[in-house]
Amino acid sequence: MQIYANLTIRQKHIIWAWAFLALPVLFYGIIRFYPTGNAFLISFQDWNLLGKRTWTGWDNYIKLWNDPVFWKVFKNTFAYLLIGTPISLFLSFLIAYHLDKLRFMHGFLRMLYFLPFMTSAVAMAWVWRWFYQGVPIGLFNNMLASIGIPQIEFLNSTTNALPAVLAPAVWAGLGFQVIIFMAGLRAIPTSYYEAAKIDGVGWFTILTQITIPLLRPTIVFIVVFSSIGFLRIFDHVFNMTTNNPGGPLNATKPLVLMIYDTAFNGFDMGYASAQTVVLFLILLVVSLIQLRLLRSD
Amino acid sequence: MAKLSLSKLTKAYNKTEVLHGIDLDVADGEFVVFVGPSGCGKSTTLRMIAGLEDITSGAITIGDRVVNNLEPKDRDIAMVFQNYAIYPHMSVRKNIAFGLRSSKLSKPEKEQRIAEVAHILDMTHLLDRKPNQLSGGQRQRVAIGRAMVRDPAVFLFDEPLSNLDAQLRTQMRLEIKKLHQRVGNTIVFVTHDQVEAMTMADRIVIMKDGHIQQVGTPADVYHKPANAFVAQFIGAPSMNMVPGTLSATGLTLDNGQRINTNLAATTQRVVHVGIRPDDLTINPNALQILSGVVTVQEPLGSETLIYVDTEIGEVIAKADGRTPPDVGTRVTLSVAANNLHVFDGETGEAVQ
Repeated sequence: MQIYANLTIRQKHIIWAWAFLALPVLFYGIIRFYPTGNAFLISFQDWNLLGKRTWTGWDNYIKLWNDPVFWKVFKNTFAYLLIGTPISLFLSFLIAYHLDKLRFMHGFLRMLYFLPFMTSAVAMAWVWRWFYQGVPIGLFNNMLASIGIPQIEFLNSTTNALPAVLAPAVWAGLGFQVIIFMAGLRAIPTSYYEAAKIDGVGWFTILTQITIPLLRPTIVFIVVFSSIGFLRIFDHVFNMTTNNPGGPLNATKPLVLMIYDTAFNGFDMGYASAQTVVLFLILLVVSLIQLRLLRSD
Repeated sequence: MAKLSLSKLTKAYNKTEVLHGIDLDVADGEFVVFVGPSGCGKSTTLRMIAGLEDITSGAITIGDRVVNNLEPKDRDIAMVFQNYAIYPHMSVRKNIAFGLRSSKLSKPEKEQRIAEVAHILDMTHLLDRKPNQLSGGQRQRVAIGRAMVRDPAVFLFDEPLSNLDAQLRTQMRLEIKKLHQRVGNTIVFVTHDQVEAMTMADRIVIMKDGHIQQVGTPADVYHKPANAFVAQFIGAPSMNMVPGTLSATGLTLDNGQRINTNLAATTQRVVHVGIRPDDLTINPNALQILSGVVTVQEPLGSETLIYVDTEIGEVIAKADGRTPPDVGTRVTLSVAANNLHVFDGETGEAVQ
């Protein structure tokens, strides 16, 4: 006790901080970092979960490079990212920008937008799956039919399937992004807008010269956050195409689904780990690039 | 440049009226300061002049135009905000240029104007800096620069100095006053600090609870306060108020001390007698009106303020800076009869 009493205030703070952090650090070490490290290791091995692990060097990565399915999946994953992120960014900003100006039913509308975020992805995916069915079951096709437009194959077409799966995924994340955007908008002092009003600049100038630049930190956060979400997309795809995981000709298959497939249907742990490592590297690079591009002044 | 006039101006939020008919004429080139405690309606009035708040009833005239329904940009005004409202992502130059965005000047003319303003405010060397590289006083100057570049008929200042530290505030006070002398625009300045009001204003408008209490020059409001509120609000330390009675025979303090003044009332009435601490001193040669025990000393260097507990309440008096009476000693205080202010006990209005 004498030793503790002689420590400086700062040292005591550090000791207490570590006392509280020890458990989560241990937990994270075992649950997160150990398996992560292991995945890197397994990616250089051949293992079917039951047999012996054998060292194969770069074989799994070479196989991946030459696998046409991987390149299709790679393309899909980036399609989710490059279509999903801008659309959800634009929509959530549009909603937040207008919702922020609204007093009437503000709370109710905000709740409506937030609701999908709280809904289970599985339930949502199945409801949307029903929306996409043909006449007389599917909502969308029924609506189209009633105004005389021919049926659209949403989930069974190689071109429509990916956007059809993406739509509920965007919708699900929107509520969260709207809330973040609104918090960002609220944080801009009203005097900035009042000063602009006195200077007599138009709404477009205010939007592009004041609002958006001042929202930069919020935008960075949402872009990085939603990009990670779209790169890891799985549950929507898996649940909307359960009878044919990955859609027609792998049209909707994202990288995570391929990993799942390789690992738990093919029991090729080494190959699945190699894919995981690639996904990890993609996430890392994309996030770093975004932070770099968006953060600098 | 132009004159500004407010007539029967009121403001209500739903059913709650917060401004109850403000009438004021500000002459061309005049520096008018609105002062009052928070919630008195001074900022609301300013924001109504700016066009940031709707007018419930009454009229605002700038120059010859009633501007009630004009957008802020069409009112020929510029405003400096309490938090400066300068954009953190733009350089000083861009911030100042923002004030000219909607003007029809050509680009070289705009640049010329920005250069002139920067020169007047002595910040030419700061033009390419970002606001976060500036000190508080420099940011304040950028905000003023953005207002100046518009060359408005009326400048509006909304408590622009309250975010600065005491020393800088004194300095900026002087700078704004000098600036006004040089450019000569009409200025309406809002503050809660009576020292700012006294030092800067041509005329002071003292407000309370949505009413104007008094309008006058700094000397007027200090020496001839219209009511007890103005008397106690203006001047530091605050004016002493001691109870008394005014009757046909003259003025009597509640401690029984009779004072000869030319004031008299036909019927006996209760009054408050106001005495500025500066006028209340230990002077055996003058009229001695109060005595009591010194409870606290506040040395200010050149003088010492003493708090004296008398039989009719605590008063603050001024004593010598070098040899003030000790705490616990009994002192007798004097005042010149013509330095007394008498206010009605019920209404608080000055008794003339």
